[in-house]
Amino acid sequence: MIVFDNVSLSFGRRELFKNISLELRGGKIFGIVGKNGAGKSTFLKLAGKILRPDSGTINFPPEKKIAAVTPEMKIYDNLTARENLFFFAKLRGKNLSDEKIFELGGRVGLDMKSFGDVRTENFSTGMRQRLKFAILLSVAADIWLLDEPTANLDDDGREKFFCEIQAAKSEKIILLATNESAEENFCDEIIRLPL
Amino acid sequence: MKLFGSRFEQIASIVRKDFLIGLRRRAAWAAMMMFALTAAAALSLSTGGIFIEEKFLAAIFWVVIFFAASAGVASTFEDEASAGTLPTLKLYAEAQAILFGKMIYVFLSLVALTIFILPIFLILFDVAVKNFFLLLATIFFGLIGISAAGTLTAALTTSASVKGGLFTVLLFPITLPIFLPAISLTEISFSGGAFESSSLVVAAIFDLILMTAASILYDYL
Repeated sequence: MIVFDNVSLSFGRRELFKNISLELRGGKIFGIVGKNGAGKSTFLKLAGKILRPDSGTINFPPEKKIAAVTPEMKIYDNLTARENLFFFAKLRGKNLSDEKIFELGGRVGLDMKSFGDVRTENFSTGMRQRLKFAILLSVAADIWLLDEPTANLDDDGREKFFCEIQAAKSEKIILLATNESAEENFCDEIIRLPL
Repeated sequence: MKLFGSRFEQIASIVRKDFLIGLRRRAAWAAMMMFALTAAAALSLSTGGIFIEEKFLAAIFWVVIFFAASAGVASTFEDEASAGTLPTLKLYAEAQAILFGKMIYVFLSLVALTIFILPIFLILFDVAVKNFFLLLATIFFGLIGISAAGTLTAALTTSASVKGGLFTVLLFPITLPIFLPAISLTEISFSGGAFESSSLVVAAIFDLILMTAASILYDYL
């Protein structure tokens, strides 16, 4: 459970969050929605302790691990898809076999037989997004921070993505920042910004 | 024990990943090697035929290593930051694993640089090494110090707007206490004079202090 207790955050004179108190429990997909600039990405960074609030506290159990798909978080262009997957999984103590890599590719719609040994600098934006999604599925994590994760995905990619997060939600806290009103339907609870 | 095992695996993965990318991009390595070669060749040609004392030869050697290292070490965090991979790495790996992974990679890169430039330097300046063990030990401790100081400085300057200039300006005073004994010990290794083993111990202690300081400070970056 992530607990926001009287959290406030300002950027210069702009007060983005003022005395927010809320609880984010496991087993749910929380949709973080709001207009551009409402603070959706900032909310995710606060929840993941990537950003510190000006005042108040954000508590989550220290042993919980975070994984994320956000526009700022890039993969290594000079590594192949397989190497990227293997590297990030290894950082979280997992050894991915070739079978597992093919399986992950299948789950996100990335043909690892054809593209597994291709450097990701040659990938389209959508393929990179699918690979980020595969990394998300491969690493051990209790909290998923997803910032407009389907922005560059086609219909097939979106369908696979929501199918996977629905299957995974029982064991995780999932925060999904989105501008797509249709995606709100996949969420169990909506946090509308500004709060 | 599991914590140390996991951190060791993370460090090993980061070193392996950086080597793979370093070999594929080659830019940082080429910059280091070419700088060292150009500097050593230019100094050798300009001083051709003049007798140079061992003390100056030792100083020239370390100046070449310092500036060549500066050309390559700064990119260790800068490349990650500009490619946008640093936030991803910071999310999935522990801070200390990133620091020591990068430090080991920098150290191994500097070892490769030294293996490349040392024979060239010895030939160009016609140096006959009298105490090879001392030279190797001095280089070993000197490179560890440059790696620790360089990695921390690179991490500090990643978010600065004038990275390159700031990196060299900050690195020089931090590494100065390494250079002075390193130059002195290198001179002895060239001349064959007597040396106190305590000098090497001092160099090792300074390396340890630098690594500890880097480890403590990195958590606050």
